[in-house]
Amino acid sequence: MAKFVTIGERLSVTAPTVNKAFAARDEEPILKRAKQQLDAGAVYLDVNIGPAENDGEDIMKWAVELLQSNFDNVPLALDTSNKKAIEAGISVYNRSKGKPIVNSADAAGRIEYVDLAAANDAIVIALCNGEGIAKDNDERMMYCQTLLERGMEHGMEPTDLWFDPLFLVVKGMQDKQMEVLECIKMFSDMGLNSTGGLSNNSNGMPKNIRPIMDSALVAMAMMQGLTSAIVNPNDLRLMETIKSCDVFKGNTLYADSYLEL
Amino acid sequence: MPFNRKPQKFNAAIKSVVIGSGDKTVTLGGENVLPFYAFDGEIKNGPKVGVEITDLGMEGEPESVKAYYEGAATMGEIAKKAAAMEGADFLCLRLAGGDPNGLNKSVEELIETVKEVADAVDVPLVVEGCKNVEKDSELLTKVAEVLQGRNVLVMSAREEDYKAVGAAAGLAYSQKVGAESAVDINLAKQLNVVMTQLGVNADSIVMNVGSAAVGYGYEYVVSTLDRIKAAALSQDDKMLQMPIITPIASETWNVKEAMATEEESPEWGSQEVRGISMEIQTAAASLASGSDAVILKHPQSVATISKMIQELM
Repeated sequence: MAKFVTIGERLSVTAPTVNKAFAARDEEPILKRAKQQLDAGAVYLDVNIGPAENDGEDIMKWAVELLQSNFDNVPLALDTSNKKAIEAGISVYNRSKGKPIVNSADAAGRIEYVDLAAANDAIVIALCNGEGIAKDNDERMMYCQTLLERGMEHGMEPTDLWFDPLFLVVKGMQDKQMEVLECIKMFSDMGLNSTGGLSNNSNGMPKNIRPIMDSALVAMAMMQGLTSAIVNPNDLRLMETIKSCDVFKGNTLYADSYLEL
Repeated sequence: MPFNRKPQKFNAAIKSVVIGSGDKTVTLGGENVLPFYAFDGEIKNGPKVGVEITDLGMEGEPESVKAYYEGAATMGEIAKKAAAMEGADFLCLRLAGGDPNGLNKSVEELIETVKEVADAVDVPLVVEGCKNVEKDSELLTKVAEVLQGRNVLVMSAREEDYKAVGAAAGLAYSQKVGAESAVDINLAKQLNVVMTQLGVNADSIVMNVGSAAVGYGYEYVVSTLDRIKAAALSQDDKMLQMPIITPIASETWNVKEAMATEEESPEWGSQEVRGISMEIQTAAASLASGSDAVILKHPQSVATISKMIQELM
């Protein structure tokens, strides 16, 4: 089994410093956050430039080139609703460390992002959602099927669609948590890869609680077969949990210094 | 339906480590396929064969080994003959006489032997200590110093002495360092981690993950080699991508099957043949399981294993 793939989430326009830096093409704050995440063990970095309707292509190209030239062609997830911006990013993307990830498609209005990934030999995050949150796993698996077929019709390898069950917030949707975990097991039983915004679960919780909830959930999800997650790699407890779970699953070989690797 | 061959491709490779200097060098590792899986992809360098001599000269060696070295009176002459052996890629000098529980030769005396051997030959050199941790810390540090510029492989740094040996060989004198663990895959990885944390370049490390003669717990050696190659290639584990060297002669010639005389065990047949057979079988199994180099001593074993490698490539 391959090691769990962490996708660092901290280059996102939801953070005001990052938003400003993208707008002003200010390298320093972007490089700083990227380095922090990579030093902490992130495999991929998510580049969330928001809707970026006006200058998305330009921003994405700039970001891809900036990050890959500074960090040894670090593999990236290109995260925007602007399809042209994703294509522009891929046009300058170096694949030596991994295919680009298109973030993201769903089974409704954003299904064409699967086509985009297929046309560019990219990975796509396939959110098992239609219009609104799926009401149960039957519905989730229906969307999964739709997305999988779409990808395969366009010549994709099934393993290049990373299915996202959509992690739900505990405060408000506590009763849905086991269902999400069961969905991951279904993906895994089908031999599919999976990922998702794991920290959604702890939204609205006190700051000191969130790493605990996130760590517990990642361990349970990895047990179910989750192969990747979009996370804050600078959450030490979470990263230690992922590394430990990788050992238990046989994804990495144990050595006393495994936490330092 | 026609047979559709699917080569097993890994996005990872074993590191290439060069030993030796000038135009006499040998490269260990570099492959990105499983052992001898030449049908999956080109094997860059191929496994290498080293010839072992010790500072004890011909003392205690089997008759046919003595016969090969006939006429060689000094360590320098022995080294020359060893280097010229058919199928030899490098020379390994084992400083067995340094063992405090044995001859307990002084470091100075052993270093003289090291210099004599190094001056006599220009082939790539591996120098092994005496296995005593305390003595080796001092001895191997000195070995690394006096052979500066020869780019030798110093064996070995262990859990107990990696700081001294690793710092001298890998850092101060720019030699290659052996990282030795005794059939313990987790420790093998850990040693590489701490050595690189010490500052030793990952490209300067060769692993000796332990050995045994066939029939003496050898299954563990095979499973260790197997798992290391699997982690290195399929999991891209950077801390296990160092090439592996396996000393064979020092294991196989000391077991009952090689030592018992024909008078003691007439049903086993020729002692000489048994000894050679143990050495060849253990070496072949180690190479098939993932060793990038083996160290042998009998001319017939060296020739046979070298031929086997050529034919399987």
